[in-house]
Formats: sequence, C-alpha cells, structure tokens
Amino acid sequence: MELFEELQQVLTPERVTKNETVLAQHSRDESYHTPHLPDVVVFPENAEEVSEVIKLANTYQTPVVPFGLGSSLEGNMIPYEQGIMIDFSLMNKVLEVKAEDFLVTVQPGVTRTQLDKELKKHGLFFSVDPGADATLGGMAATNASGTTSVKYGIMRDNVRDLEVVLADGTIIHTGNLAAKSSSGYHLNGIFVGSEGTLGCFTELTLKVYGIPEHTAAGRAAFNTVHDAVDAVIGILQAGIPVARVELVDEHSMKQINLYSETDYKEVPTLFLEFHGNEAGLQQDVDFTREIVNDYHCQELSFETDTAARNRLWEARHNAAYAYIHGNPGKKQMVTDVCLPISEMAGAIKDAREAIEASGLVGGIVGHVGDGNYHILLMINVNDPTDIEKANEVNERIVDYALIRGGTCTGEHGVGVGKQKYQEREHGAALNVMRKIKTALDPKDLLNPGKVIDLD
Amino acid sequence: MFISLLKEQIGSDKVSQSESELYRHSHDESPHQAIEPKVVCFPECSKDIEKILNIAYTHNIPVTAFGIGSGLEGQAIPIQKGISLNFERMNNVVDFSPEDMTITVQPGITRLQLNKLVNRHGLMFPIDPGADATIGGMVATNASGTTAVRYGSIRNQLLDLEVVLADGTVIHTGTHAKKSSSGYHLTGLFAGSEGTLGIISEITIQLHGIPEHTLMARCTFETLEACAEASQTILLSGIPVMRMELVDATSIDQVNTYGGYDYPIKHTLFFEFAGMQAAVKEELKLAKELLHDLGCQDWEVASDPKEQKEVWKSRHELSYAYTHIQGTLDTGADVCVPISRVPEMIVYARKLIEESGLKGGILGHIGDGNFHTIVIFDPKIEGEREKAFYTNEALAIRAIEVGGTCTGEHGVGLGKMQFQEAEHGAAVEIMKKTKQMLDPTGVLNPGKMFR
Repeated sequence: MELFEELQQVLTPERVTKNETVLAQHSRDESYHTPHLPDVVVFPENAEEVSEVIKLANTYQTPVVPFGLGSSLEGNMIPYEQGIMIDFSLMNKVLEVKAEDFLVTVQPGVTRTQLDKELKKHGLFFSVDPGADATLGGMAATNASGTTSVKYGIMRDNVRDLEVVLADGTIIHTGNLAAKSSSGYHLNGIFVGSEGTLGCFTELTLKVYGIPEHTAAGRAAFNTVHDAVDAVIGILQAGIPVARVELVDEHSMKQINLYSETDYKEVPTLFLEFHGNEAGLQQDVDFTREIVNDYHCQELSFETDTAARNRLWEARHNAAYAYIHGNPGKKQMVTDVCLPISEMAGAIKDAREAIEASGLVGGIVGHVGDGNYHILLMINVNDPTDIEKANEVNERIVDYALIRGGTCTGEHGVGVGKQKYQEREHGAALNVMRKIKTALDPKDLLNPGKVIDLD
Repeated sequence: MFISLLKEQIGSDKVSQSESELYRHSHDESPHQAIEPKVVCFPECSKDIEKILNIAYTHNIPVTAFGIGSGLEGQAIPIQKGISLNFERMNNVVDFSPEDMTITVQPGITRLQLNKLVNRHGLMFPIDPGADATIGGMVATNASGTTAVRYGSIRNQLLDLEVVLADGTVIHTGTHAKKSSSGYHLTGLFAGSEGTLGIISEITIQLHGIPEHTLMARCTFETLEACAEASQTILLSGIPVMRMELVDATSIDQVNTYGGYDYPIKHTLFFEFAGMQAAVKEELKLAKELLHDLGCQDWEVASDPKEQKEVWKSRHELSYAYTHIQGTLDTGADVCVPISRVPEMIVYARKLIEESGLKGGILGHIGDGNFHTIVIFDPKIEGEREKAFYTNEALAIRAIEVGGTCTGEHGVGLGKMQFQEAEHGAAVEIMKKTKQMLDPTGVLNPGKMFR
C-alpha cells in the first residue's frame, strides 16, 4: 500500500486529497516567499488522527507540515520539502470556556475572531491581536503578538497548556491549568514559537480577560518620530497602563488618508488605547495629555464612543491595505525587527533612510510600546531587483537591531525568511536549539528546513 | 586533586573548605537533610564559572548552585557533595537602562538590593517571594509570590539569561528586545531549571513603573470557603489587584500569640490595590461593596505607609510566627490550582491538617490559585514527620487531579520529584531528554527534579 491509501484508511478518503486546487491553496502564505506544493493534504479531526498521520510519516520518512490559515509572513509553513500538509480547519471547535478561571480550551483551527465571538457571550476577550484573523494554532506556532501586547503580553504569555503530538506520535501536555508553576522544565515556552518543527498542536488552553469596563482611544500627532517615541517612554515609565500604543510614520499617514478618506495630520502619529474603570481612564487620559504635551504634541484627540473608536483603529489596521491598494500589482514585504525602546527612534530614522535609498515605496508602522516595528515594502515579486532591494533594506535594519540588543523577528517568526540571521542573533545558543530539534525530531520530519538550520 | 586545580585556575581566595562555609552550604530553609559539599567556590565573573565547570566536567564532580540558601525544596543542598557555587561576589549591576525599564544584573544580587537601586528611578522589580532571595536563585526556581496575581512569576519578567553550560560554553538565551519570535525560547527553559541545565551568570529583567498610588485593606469571613469565594468575586469583577492574600484563623491566632497582637481570630483576606490614584480609589470602592455584599467583617483600609504596614502585619509575620515554636520544624505544600478549584482545595487542606493531628495553618496567594500549608512537627516525636509530609503529598496529588501543579513557586528540588510523573505524564520523557542533552555526564545539581 502507498502512503496516500494508508492515510485514507487512517482518516477517511474524503479527508485526504491530492486535488490540485487544494494543493495550491496549501503552497503559500501571505509573504513574498516562493510557493511550493505539498504531496498531499489531510484534514484530521482529533489528536489521535494527527498522531496516526505522524506515525505514517515516520514509516514513509515523509515530512509533515501543519497549516493554519496561511496568514503567516515568513513562509513558516510552505512545504519546501513536500510531504504531508496537515490542515487543521476541521479541528476548529471552542471546547470549553472556563469563565471562572479566565481560561478557554480550543482546537488549533479556531480563528481569533471566532474565539472572540464565543468569549463575548461570557464577558471575556482574548487579548492577542496580530491584525490578521489567524488560527490560534498558527498564532501559538509563531508566537504571534500585535497591538495589545504592551499590556496583555504576547502569545507565549497567554498559553497555559498545549496538547502536542510529537515526532513519534506520542501525545503530551506541556502545561496545566494553574496560573503559574515551578514544576519540571517549561515546555510551554519551547513549543510556543517552534513553528511546527517540534510537534503539532492539537489543543490549546489560553488565558482570557474580562472585557474592560471602559475603553478610550486617542490619536496624538507629533513633529518627529523621536518626540513620539519619547512620549511613549514617558507614558510607560509613569506606569500608565496603556493597552495599545502604535506609531505610524508620516508617509503611512498620507497613505491612510488616501485610503480611509480621513483628514488626519500627515505627521508621525501615535494611536493609543486605554482600558479600565471610568475614573481611572479619565486620569490615564489626563496624565497622557500632560506627557505628550511635554514632547510638543501638535494635536491630541480622544474618542470614547464605540463607533468613533472603531473608526480610529480601523484606519490604523488598514495601513497595510492602504499600501497594497495604492500600489496595484505589487506584494508586500514586511520586516519585523524588535529592539530596546530607547533605540526605537534611531532605528526608525535609519529605516526611513534605508527605504529612501532603496527607491522602493514603503511605510513604517510600529508596536512602539514593545519596540517592534514593521516596514511595509511594496515590491514586484517577479522583479529580481525589487526582491534584492527589499532584502538589502531588511539586512540593514536587522543589522541595526542586532547590534543594539534586538531581535530579527518580534512576532512573525523565523520561517525561511529569518533563518540567515539565526547564527548572528543566537550565537552559541543556536547549538542548544539544534540539539533540542534533534532530540525531539531525530528524523527531521517536522516542518524540515524551518527555524533551525541543521547543517 | 580537583580542589588544587580549582585554586590554581580561579585563585585560592575564591575556594574554601572552611568548616563554617561547608556547613553554610549544606542546607536551605527546608527540613530536607543537610549535606556538606566538598568545597565552596566563590566565582567573581562568568570566566570563573566557565573554569569551574570545565574542571567539574573533566573530573566528573557535581556542581550545585547556591544563592542565599532561602530555597524551600532542597535545591541548593549538594546531595552528591562536590562543588557548591556561591554567587555572593557576583552581585553587581552590569547594565541599567531606565528608558527601556530594563536592568542586567549578576545572579548574586538580592531582590531588596535590586529594588533599592531601581526605586530611585521610579521603577520597581515587582516579584516578591517574601524572602530576600538572590535574583539568580529566584530565576532558578521560577519564584513568584504575593504579586503574581498581577505580574506572574519571574519567568514572565526575563528578557535574557547568560548561562554557562555543562561543557563550559557561554550562551545568551534571549536579547534585550521586549519580545521575540526568533528561534526556540530558551529563556523560559532555563528559568525554573534549578541549576540542572546550566549555571546562570547574568540576568536581564523587565522593570515596571512604581504605581502612583497604593491602598491596602483587610477583612474577615466566617469560613474558608467564604474567603475563597470572595476572592473569586473580586477577580471576576475585573479589579486588577496588586496582591490578594488569605490567612486562616489558626495562623492569625499564631501571629497573635507570637507578636502579642489581638487581631480578630478569623479567616482573613488582605488586599493591595495599586495604580493611578483615581483608578485605585474606584477599585477600592467597588471591592468594599462586593465584599460587604458577601458578608465580610472587620473591614479596614490603610492609605499611608505606616497604617499599611500595620494592616498587613499579621500576613508578613506569619512564617516567623510558626518557626518561632521551639524545637519544631515546619513543612508546607505549595500547590497551585485553577481559581475555580481554590475553595474546595482549601477545605481539603484544612481537613488534611485536622486529620494529621498536628498544628498547621493555611495561607495563600489566593489571587493566582497558589496556596501554602504550614505544618509544624517535632522531629523527635515518632511519626510526626511522616504525618506532616503526608498532608503535603495528599494535597499535591489532589492539585494535580484538578488540573493544577504540585509546586506553584518553590520548585521541585528534592521534595516534589515524586510528583513529576503524575503531573507531566509523557512530557517527563521530553524533560529528561532535555537534561540528558544539555548535561550528558550529569554534573549539574545531580539528583534533583527528576529521578
């Protein structure tokens, strides 16, 4: 019997396919990285089936790559060595909301907005917001974060337990339901961000939060990026519990105005959000006003009603689409460095110079509270010079970040795009990572060629 | 002999075999049996650690890290003798960046030393296990304490660790960026590894702004369940408490006896609210309403530091109140369970203590589901030690059954080894593989965490 038939037997014939359209759907993500077809796509319904699939992969020495929704940005799940693609779209149930424990257990195929819809009924929300409506399995795999991590932490901070199918088909749990633990080695942290190279997630227990009593959103316009970043440092040092603080540079503000038909000042701008009780919020807003004024804020406006708040954040979230819309036929190459916040202003200045020097069109948006920013570079993926220019920009800003104690990727993960920086970023620690990979996946079957370069 | 080699390579002033040093490094604050190391080393830099580990690796000598000896599960006891590594000469600040709210320190600096340095800049290191432990020791056991309800454990506050591996290689587990999706997350792995995977030689920590305003409060309830349920109500209301602690009536009685106080001998909840002044005042108002609806008594609030100290006194003096009893030892559980299971677990703990016939109390970081028992036993009376340890065991097993952990913050060491299989199942194999891979000859704190 062949692998295909065996897979059909373990699952059902309908849930194993070589259909060309399906293969093509599983050949790419949202990045500029070259697509590659898997041999076969399977749709398991539970952990036991995933385990059976992985056991077959062992028998046939065939790679296995997990697939969420394909919204990744570094080619994290493109199956360059072919093999079996495990699509988790049938494992998309919210299994249990434990409202009293502020926990929820989900299958990996549940998407972020699907989960939030379910949680809303309980007055709860899930805090990690990378923008895209990614699956939670995928978000855990890349250790995603986004606009709210300044207050609520990144994916890794919000994973309590994972059920993981290992390379030999064993099913383990990496954590428990307690708020903290000093028992054993911290496997949660290792598996979160491992991008399918150490195991496949089949269940996640996540920390959730009560929907805040009140929310206020604001926009602050500055003369320079430097002033804007210093204002954020002031806000954080003052202990104001800001829930989101996003920086958009003047070029991107221009693009946003064009796309969203807004008339915001086209200067470096902070988008802010605060969560809390009514009195506290008022004080947060007043205190923030004082701080931003110290840094020559040109204009500060706050919105408390839901519609106006949503409009404001929609504009920020549409920044990436604004560029795509304004540059038809081009794709976006998104950089993702993260560095100490005190280095942020210099980094953004250097990034702008890098964009200008490349001649490409590009905007800068940043989760400035975390020191993480993205350049949205518009490139023609079929034009090798565009790719080369984009790579040069990326090299330069990664260099800038690594020299100053930063990382090559704040939230998108390594995939294939950031592999070349691993040695420089991690030094001798990369060997420890290689050993972990080898110990857990001795045959190199799990998403081979990603994150850790074994050679 | 390896000791002369140590003296030769790092300097004889950094190597001691004096009786008092050997004794000091033979025990921690737990009742686990004291065992003296062969020799104590006092490294002054990463290079020294590297040299020590190279010698240990070559001569197959066990190496056990020692912070200040405030551990509670025997982690620092060198049960296979060998070298005890003391970090008191490595207690410097390597780098401090107030703008980034980060600080890099050597492992021997203590929690209070660190806070004294950063408080001046309006910043704080929030993790508070009670004892003035070293930061290195706290990282090694993944310590937390009264503020975990808001800040989590120390693992959540780490950006980077410099670690000397068993073969002498020096690595960095992270960067100074606040978050990263690059490579595997080694920082989390080394935090809580109790010196079994490597020796931590430098730590970069995320600091926080000191809250503008702090208010403390205390109230009592008739039953333990009522206390647990009240604390749940506070959490569900969304009030971001800074601290929320439970002390049972037996323990209050003990504190009264020890300190000559007359606190109401009832189950007591302690609260700390911290943040911007307006928010804190509103939080206190809401908490008061909720707690009174639930029938709390003896409500007291303190706003100035002197009053605050008074209000929390009976909580702070608790462990001393117990250890004060002449000729006895104490042991305690450290379970952490999902918040919804706390009420039944506390009732079960009380029942276990009653059944043991020993004196004991319950206190807990009830906001994060972590609570402790303190059970007093006289080692000279036959059977008492066993009875005391049985309460711990039964509680740990129940905690695991309800989805929790046998140790919320003290670590595994010697005392929680027996629960690792029950708690982690097949994942224990992965942990053992990790140990095997990083310390193939088993020189790093042998005999701890896993059997």
